[in-house]
Amino acid sequence: MKYRMEKNPLTGEAERELASEIRQLAGSPAGEERSRPPDAYWQNLVVRINARIDDATSGKALSISWAARVAIPGVVAIVSFLVGLHYYVPDAYRHEPSVADVVLALPPAAIDSLLVDPSGADLSLSVEEVAPDVFVFSRQQIADYFIDNGDPGAAVDELSDPEANTILKVLDSERK
Amino acid sequence: MEPRPDIELVQEVRNGRRQAFTELMRRYQERVYWVARRIVGSHDDADDIVQETFVKAYLALGEFRGDSSFFTWIYRIAVNLSLNALRKRQVLNYLHESELLSRILPSPDDPGKDLENSEIESALHRAVATLPEKQKAVFVMRYFDEMTYEEIGRVLKTSVGGLKANYFHALRKVREYMRHEIQDGEKPPYG
Repeated sequence: MKYRMEKNPLTGEAERELASEIRQLAGSPAGEERSRPPDAYWQNLVVRINARIDDATSGKALSISWAARVAIPGVVAIVSFLVGLHYYVPDAYRHEPSVADVVLALPPAAIDSLLVDPSGADLSLSVEEVAPDVFVFSRQQIADYFIDNGDPGAAVDELSDPEANTILKVLDSERK
Repeated sequence: MEPRPDIELVQEVRNGRRQAFTELMRRYQERVYWVARRIVGSHDDADDIVQETFVKAYLALGEFRGDSSFFTWIYRIAVNLSLNALRKRQVLNYLHESELLSRILPSPDDPGKDLENSEIESALHRAVATLPEKQKAVFVMRYFDEMTYEEIGRVLKTSVGGLKANYFHALRKVREYMRHEIQDGEKPPYG
């Protein structure tokens, strides 16, 4: 093996001395020469590297690569879709009034017809749109309804005792 | 006949002529092998690293811009792979020492077996094996391959000043190791 250390202009004096001493201590590089692989190894090495390059660029390797190329965007797309689905609220639904609001905005007579005969509601309404909570009224609303329609007794059934007493007193005083 | 410049061969490989890459392999396989072997210390590991170096180089040839020479580029791949192999081995050694892995893998019968397996034959190679990885890489490139600091700097992407300091420390450690082992017939206490 050739050593050109001494010729290197970047080598300092201390560096040269140390390297020189190491060379003296190490003796000849015959040990490394002995451990050099035989010539056949180098021929075979090229063949083995070419085989590995073939493997790396073959259809099998490409298929793995393609799987990764398809799988990763696929997973990202599915996750994005699910996340979007979870948070997405269509603008159309957001701006439309609820069925309850529509019903409450109707004149009392129309509400009557809805309560007496729900099939009389607009037939274009779907079952989902006419949600059950449309017909859930507060006790005050129910009491007002019965009082307005001349059936205070029925209203009393829906009222608490103090409310019923108050209403009955009012009705009695009106009769008198 | 003048050997064709590397860059021409690289261009031919890019144009699909695989034979040109074989030519590049023949040109540099031995130097790549020796830098790997001197860093990792074992023929088997060096053999793996040479193969991996050229496979990586072939697959990444499109990224080779020609800012440095082809040899510097491929040499850098080999040094990085060698240093990675050393780190992996250190982790394995640590696991063996901590007896975590001995429950999974058969532990070496003899603590010195690693040295035997690594085929480090001379005192010089044993001394190199004791160096920290950065110093080892610099020592191998400078002492054995006689590269200039600028060339080493391009391979390791490090400043020349740092390389000089690393090399100087490495030289002193190697010299001390060899003085102890050869002159006194015993290994120094550090390793």
